[in-house]
This record gives sequence, structure tokens and C-alpha cells, in this order.
Amino acid sequence: MITVQHILKIKGNHIWMIGPQVTVFDALKLMAEKEVGALLVVEGEKVVGIFSERDYARKVILKGQSSKDTPVSNIMTERVITVNPETSVDVCMGLMTDRHIRHLPVMEGNKLIGVISIGDVVKAIIAEQSNLIEHLENYIVGR
Amino acid sequence: MKTVIDILRAKGDEVYTVEPQVTVFEALKKMAENDIGALVVVEAGRVVGIFTERDYARKMILKDRSSRDTPVRKVMTEHVITVDPATAIEVCMDLIVHRHISHLPVIENNQLIGIISIGDILKAVIFGHVRLLEYQDSLVFGR
Repeated sequence: MITVQHILKIKGNHIWMIGPQVTVFDALKLMAEKEVGALLVVEGEKVVGIFSERDYARKVILKGQSSKDTPVSNIMTERVITVNPETSVDVCMGLMTDRHIRHLPVMEGNKLIGVISIGDVVKAIIAEQSNLIEHLENYIVGR
Repeated sequence: MKTVIDILRAKGDEVYTVEPQVTVFEALKKMAENDIGALVVVEAGRVVGIFTERDYARKMILKDRSSRDTPVRKVMTEHVITVDPATAIEVCMDLIVHRHISHLPVIENNQLIGIISIGDILKAVIFGHVRLLEYQDSLVFGR
């Protein structure tokens, strides 16, 4: 059974983060540089929110705000759903579809150790399927 | 083996579109109203592009564009990767991962008949998981 731990081993545990006072504009710059769809918002060691492309698409211009004047703390999602290294990929899939989210920060106790995205989950499913197929092929041929 | 048509049967054939001259602001409004992450851009019945939250996050304020003054045509992705109803879900997953995209418009006989998102694919995998295990099981017991 594939867990979050396996996914992190493959993708690494770099996490792109910003402080709550950073402007939406600067957050977007970082997201473009790192080619990611979300940033974790942290205050010291504490995760205080997550800022995603969806937050930007829904809450800035449509609410008459400007990205250069708005700190991410104003529009980030504050209730962050997290997982831990032992969480299975199945549970991650369920969380993402039920809560309509695309990123899950990974906590080990109180420590943030990585982030997995919906893309990472799909990659893991593809890998698991091809492992299963290989296993079945070996079984059929009697290896 | 599940295909695109199975996904469309489960989620419906609703697909939201926009014309190329419509402003990014209006496009964002439509996306917010319908709680979606992408609009297919159509002109005279033809798919000419796709506009997603990612296009918005990367190509607007960071390139000094204003959403009320910019037509979708300027920032949409023109090379649209599409699928047809018979496409296997595994192929959809590969496309999404390798082309780094989140939506696949579905075309049949040159007509846009639906759209599937990475979220729709995850839901299909959640429900299809049982299928995969059933197959393994029947192989082992020689049914």
C-alpha cells in the first residue's frame, strides 16, 4: 500500500513557503518561479494557511482587491487539511475529492516535512498500476 | 477498463465555454459562478483554446496585464490537448501528468461534448479501485 512517505521519497520534501504579510503579487512570482500551484503560509514554525491559484482566482479581482496591495493572509485558506507520512494514498485521494483541494501539507507531529499535490497522487497511482501489471504478468508467466 | 465515457456518465456532459474576445474578468466571474477551474474557448463552434486558473496566475499581473482590459484570447492556452469518449482513463492520467495539465476537453465528431478534470479522474479511480482488486482476485483463484 502506497503511503505519503513513498511519495515524498520520490518527489522530495522541499516546501515553498511564505509569511502571511507577503503580498499576493510576490506570492504569485514565487509560484511562477517554482512552477507550483500553491504556497504554504507559515509564521515561524507554525502553518497558518495555504494560498493557491484558486484563492487568487476567486478572491482578489472579483472582490475589488489588488494583488500588489493585498497580503496573502487576507485571502489564504486558513483551515489547512494535512496528512502524515503513514497516510495511505487512498485516504489522500478521498480528502482531495471530498474537500475539493489539490494540496496536502505533510506533518510529522508538529513539524511540517513536505507537501503532496494532486499531481503527485496521480503519479503514484500510475506507478502502482504499472507495478501491479508487472506483478500480474510475472505471475502469469510463472516467474 | 474504464474510459472517458464512464466518467462523463458519472459527472454529466456539462462544459463551460467562453468566446475568445470575452475579458479575463468576465471569464473569472463565470468560473467562480460555476465553481470550476477552466473554461474551453470556442469560436464559431470550434475549440480554439482553454483558459485555466494557471493561465490567470501566470500570465496576467506578472505580465502587467489587467483582467478587465485583456481578452481571454491573449492568455489562453492555444494548443489544447483533448480526448475522445473511448480514451482509457490510464491514458488520461498519463496526459495530465506528462503535459502538466488539469483539464481534458472531450471531442466526438469534431464536437465538444464534455470535459474531464484531474478531480474527475481521481473520483473514477476511487470507484474503479474495486475493479482492479477483483481482477487480481479472480486471477489468483483461477475463475
